[in-house]
Amino acid sequence: MDFEKYGMSNEELFSIIDHSELESEKITAPRYSYWRSVIRVFFRNKVNIVILALLVFVILFAYIYPALVPYDPYANLLDPNSKHLSPAKALQYFGNSIHWILGSGASGEPTFDAIWNGSRISLALAFLCAGINMTVGVILGAVWGFSKKVDVIMTEVYNIVGNVPLILLISVFAMLFSPTFWTMVFALTVVGWIGIAYFIRTQVIIIRDREYNLASRCLGTSTIKIAMKNILPFMTSVIVTLLATELPSYISYEVFLAYIGMGMSDMSLGRLIYAAEGAMVTPGWEFEFWSPVAISSIITVVLYVVGQNLGDASDPRTHM
Amino acid sequence: MGKYIVKRLLHGAISAIIVVLIVMVLIYSLLDRSTILAGDPNYSKMQSNARISYEMSRYEAFGYVDYIPYADYINELARNGELSDEDRSSVALLGRTAEKDSEEAAAYVKKFTEKYQSQGYEVVRLKADAKKNGQIKDGGQAALYAVKDIPLFKRAITYFTKMLFFDNIHYVPEGTDIGERKLSFTWYDPVYNPTGTEKVFSPAIIGNGTLHKYLLYFDNEFPFIHQNFVTLNLGESYTVNRNVDVFTTMTDSQGSYVLKNMIYPDTGLTEQSADNLHTATYSEGSREINAVSIERYNDDYTKVGTFKFGMSKLGFSFVIGIISTILAYILGLPIGLMMAQLKGGFFDKICTVYIIFIIAVPSLAYIFLFKSIGGAVFKLPTLFEVDSTNWLMYVLPIISLSLPSIANLMKWMRRYMIDQQNSDYVKFARSGGLSENEIFTKHIWKNAVIPIVHGIPGSVIFAMTGAIITERVYSVPGAGNLLTQAINKYDNGVIVGVTLFYATLSVISIILGDVLMATVDPRISFTSKAR
Repeated sequence: MDFEKYGMSNEELFSIIDHSELESEKITAPRYSYWRSVIRVFFRNKVNIVILALLVFVILFAYIYPALVPYDPYANLLDPNSKHLSPAKALQYFGNSIHWILGSGASGEPTFDAIWNGSRISLALAFLCAGINMTVGVILGAVWGFSKKVDVIMTEVYNIVGNVPLILLISVFAMLFSPTFWTMVFALTVVGWIGIAYFIRTQVIIIRDREYNLASRCLGTSTIKIAMKNILPFMTSVIVTLLATELPSYISYEVFLAYIGMGMSDMSLGRLIYAAEGAMVTPGWEFEFWSPVAISSIITVVLYVVGQNLGDASDPRTHM
Repeated sequence: MGKYIVKRLLHGAISAIIVVLIVMVLIYSLLDRSTILAGDPNYSKMQSNARISYEMSRYEAFGYVDYIPYADYINELARNGELSDEDRSSVALLGRTAEKDSEEAAAYVKKFTEKYQSQGYEVVRLKADAKKNGQIKDGGQAALYAVKDIPLFKRAITYFTKMLFFDNIHYVPEGTDIGERKLSFTWYDPVYNPTGTEKVFSPAIIGNGTLHKYLLYFDNEFPFIHQNFVTLNLGESYTVNRNVDVFTTMTDSQGSYVLKNMIYPDTGLTEQSADNLHTATYSEGSREINAVSIERYNDDYTKVGTFKFGMSKLGFSFVIGIISTILAYILGLPIGLMMAQLKGGFFDKICTVYIIFIIAVPSLAYIFLFKSIGGAVFKLPTLFEVDSTNWLMYVLPIISLSLPSIANLMKWMRRYMIDQQNSDYVKFARSGGLSENEIFTKHIWKNAVIPIVHGIPGSVIFAMTGAIITERVYSVPGAGNLLTQAINKYDNGVIVGVTLFYATLSVISIILGDVLMATVDPRISFTSKAR
């Protein structure tokens, strides 16, 4: 077209832009960051904020309170009036302080302090066992799912190990080495990973043979790249959801073991419940039993709910 | 299909055997064997050589070693007629040290040593333990014994070969005077017509020379017809239920004796008794020791079981377990369905809270919660009594067992239903104009229930093994606590037996689950190669 009759040259009206390979590859969509979206979706639900705050409070309290306040369970051992007091009586007897708001236990120890010391041990056990089992289980489960040779062997191992009663294993380890915290960690992790690995294996097998992976393989993508780019994003939400059930289950299991008399020697929540079992049926002593039960329930519920909702949020399909 | 199941059963049997081997390694090799003596009051009372001998006999009883004291060897010789009764006492008497043995004794000590050393035993001679004044201390007599650790494979092989016992007329040792060895058949069971006059039609096979007297008989207890030709030996108990087989421990009735007037058919003695004559087994020389047995029996089949009021351990566990399983299925499945149908609604949310409660809260906590609510608010009995006929005592254990399984079934049912709702055939059915109700009941439900079906045999079979916590909390005399009890009391026989029992049950229930799933869903086939 000719614009010169308007007194303007083509150079003034148009500028020539070179074709750019780089620019043509750009997608004009809003920037997507996976973890930022997870956090955004998680906090979209206001209930989650409350529960997360509760969880942070419980964990911080379980770690900071015993570190700041010295706790000696046998400090009042020789004082016969200090034992098995209800909260009201304990507050009256020892004066108003936070230690006695849940009463006192069998050897005159403040139940409140005992619970938080026990929570620290139980939480440490749960985090450690879940950490070890999840790491080993997820890595081995992925290998198990990808390799058909490994699958044949591991499925047999799984069938066999699944039939050895876990209580037996734990009691054997407890008798071999003394029933300490580390023995318990060892006993819970030595076969604990295999269930997680089996779960991951099933998930990997389901996703591995989907059409888009088949297509990817046909296009020549390496197995490692398929694992990292195609399957791992799918697995993140599964792993987080699994972690949400695993963490509280160790606390519950520790309580269970302690109750049947196979727990560790440290005064964990389970041991507290076990020791106070007799107090449940004694009128006036119920607080000793119900308070560790209540605290362990609160911890497990909070851990579970936060984990489940985080699992939901980490599913990319909810990020729309 | 048949070939496939046989293959699966073989696989299952192999893995059950491996499980038993693992458990045997765990308890016999890894555990310190001296722990079994820690709680033994007899052991702490004993002193000196007697203590060592007792320790060895204990190890033998718990299955660690093969232990042969010198006295047993001599007695064995005497019984075989190689040693006369007069010689026996002089030969059996050991000197204070090996040098001080009498000549005859020394000869036999040498024989004993040579015989067992050649078989790989360790022969130990304990010198007499004397006080300063030369007197022998309490339990300080000289002792001689041979001892050998039982290797794992030998133990395993004996365990599995002894597991099934086939009763035969050569059970009673040859040379024992018991009359003619035979099996005899009768139309009129002598237990029911003790005097031989009132004929009650009840066929029975009676053996002489066998372990059990009654090899086949009828009675009014489940399963009404009983046989003793083949009996199951899962392992003998030592501390939990002394000298009784694990399987018998689980299946024998418990509680107080049911006394009734009965006539012993052998002698015609009439007496108040709870004896169950059908369970009579052979016990050599029992009538010589026990005068009561002479009055009652003509033969040495004197070891009898008794009628007791309560059910067996398995029985109690099974009644509680099966009712709660049925309850769980008839409540859990429809609730799960409704949750899926009303997804996101109020009902769904309430049920989700319940599911979270059950999954997250430690089971111990909610069982105690149910117990205290049931006891305080509904005035239900919170403790179980074996001899009680009060059916209300079953209520709380059943509720405690079924509530968690209801939650579990709800969770999975909802999950499977929702997964199915998004599949193509549902969209197709909807576009074809079917009503939502029709789609739910005819299409989705049938597909969603398949994975649930897989678990049914397992939950029915495992109903009888009992639940550890529930049974402890309500003091139910069930089978759930057997394993923990055995572990606490170091009862190796029971641990191995119970493990094998559990392993077998789990193998069977998985196979049955697969078979049931294939029956329900014709698309699933095990005959053609998968994938």
